[in-house]
Amino acid sequence: MSETSTHSIDISAMQRSHQALRIEDENVCLSVKDLHLYYGEKEALKGIDMIIPEKKVTAFIGPSGCGKSTLLRCFNRMNDLVDGCRITGEINLHDNNIYAKGTDVAELRRRVGMVFQKPNPFPKSIYENVAYGLRIQGINKKRVIDETVEWALRSAALWDEVKDRLHESALGMSGGQQQRLVIARTVAVKPEVLLLDEPASALDPISTLKIEELIHELKNEFTIAIVTHNMQQAARVSDYTAFMYMGDMVEFGDTNSLFTNPSKQQTEDYITGRYG
Amino acid sequence: MRELTTDHISQQFNAELETLRQHFLTMGGVVEKQVSDAIQSLLEGQGDLAEEVKAKDKTVNQLDALIDEECTRILAKRQPAATDLRMILSIGKAVSELERMGDEAKKIANHALKLINEGESPRGYVEISRIGQMVTSMVRESLDAYARLDIDLAVSVAKADRKVDLEYKTAIRSLITYMMEDPRSIGPVFNVIWILRSLERIGDHSRHLCQHLVYLINGVNVRHVPTEELEALATEDKKV
Repeated sequence: MSETSTHSIDISAMQRSHQALRIEDENVCLSVKDLHLYYGEKEALKGIDMIIPEKKVTAFIGPSGCGKSTLLRCFNRMNDLVDGCRITGEINLHDNNIYAKGTDVAELRRRVGMVFQKPNPFPKSIYENVAYGLRIQGINKKRVIDETVEWALRSAALWDEVKDRLHESALGMSGGQQQRLVIARTVAVKPEVLLLDEPASALDPISTLKIEELIHELKNEFTIAIVTHNMQQAARVSDYTAFMYMGDMVEFGDTNSLFTNPSKQQTEDYITGRYG
Repeated sequence: MRELTTDHISQQFNAELETLRQHFLTMGGVVEKQVSDAIQSLLEGQGDLAEEVKAKDKTVNQLDALIDEECTRILAKRQPAATDLRMILSIGKAVSELERMGDEAKKIANHALKLINEGESPRGYVEISRIGQMVTSMVRESLDAYARLDIDLAVSVAKADRKVDLEYKTAIRSLITYMMEDPRSIGPVFNVIWILRSLERIGDHSRHLCQHLVYLINGVNVRHVPTEELEALATEDKKV
């Protein structure tokens, strides 16, 4: 008989690690209340109610045009830039309604950073890309910037690959590296929330896995919301998943349950590939 | 519940799932026949039929390996979710149950041959006939439940297993008493006891089959749930 089998085994500890997460047990980072969004006459979000739990990964899935990216862009008021876009309802970031009058939108976007599908590094050096956000905040001390750049690049799992060429152009990096650089640039200003809009859909499978691994690391420090077309990616990286369809939140729940036994037929049809 | 193997956007995926389902039901058919033939060979003293049952074991093993392979391939290529995932997992486990039922049928056939060739047991045939009937109908109904995704039928099979267990215990008790009274009968009666034991196991496997089906349909794991609670768990949580 092997050595380990003679010791008592703590089954309850094993079970705990498998237990479904419960949204009621989470700290609330963002809460959305009866959010409607109109592009002109068209209602793109039809009364969304949900919370984004703190320091967890929340994934949004659904067919094209279901409103998932639109909802993500509401979290840092990116939709303000869209003509004819009108929003009613509330989004609270730690109890402050971000749509209240007098909200400092620039400050909001520092607290809620965003990464897009296509990596968009600035045509500057790797170092300057990461330092950019700090400089526009008025931080000029070289020591502080050096430290933060290194921390951000380490957080984005990029430091070891670029530490010897920090002052080379960022445009010479591979797509996967560029995307991690953009993530480093976003985390450098120490946001609370990271919004990722299809962060890996333009990348090869290995770079995709690196981004997914990174997301897993980053949730120790940040609250993450990710929009993805890749359902398996949502299943792999997220703690909670929201399934949206035509502007409605059809189902929102812990990822393990949603992908093995969803409670709505519509969700079931979508994740088993029956929509068409 | 909707059909399992239709309505996917990928027709190819529909076809793969349907093939898997068909192979599983085919294997079920082979095992069902094996079990009822094994019992018949014993009760009617048909040695040829017992040999046939033994020979079929090879087919069952081949189907077991084939279906396993199909499940693996679908998991690797399609990354199924929700009902699709549960169907693969459920069938993957259910084939093992079928394969073991086949093994038990083969054991029954072996003991039947011994009793035919070396002399009948003075007792036990009535019990074998009765328990045999109960068990064959459990096997048939558990496969019907799979074919029709009938959760109520699955629950009723799981319940029937308790009756089989009870009959089995009663039969063993009376056969032990008989052996104590007449030690010369121990050899053949023991063959009968092994056969009853195999029948009882086949009943257990049918119940397990139905438990895997409950998981497929409702996503609830009822494998280690007492029969009284099974019904409530199996029928709750219908999708909206």
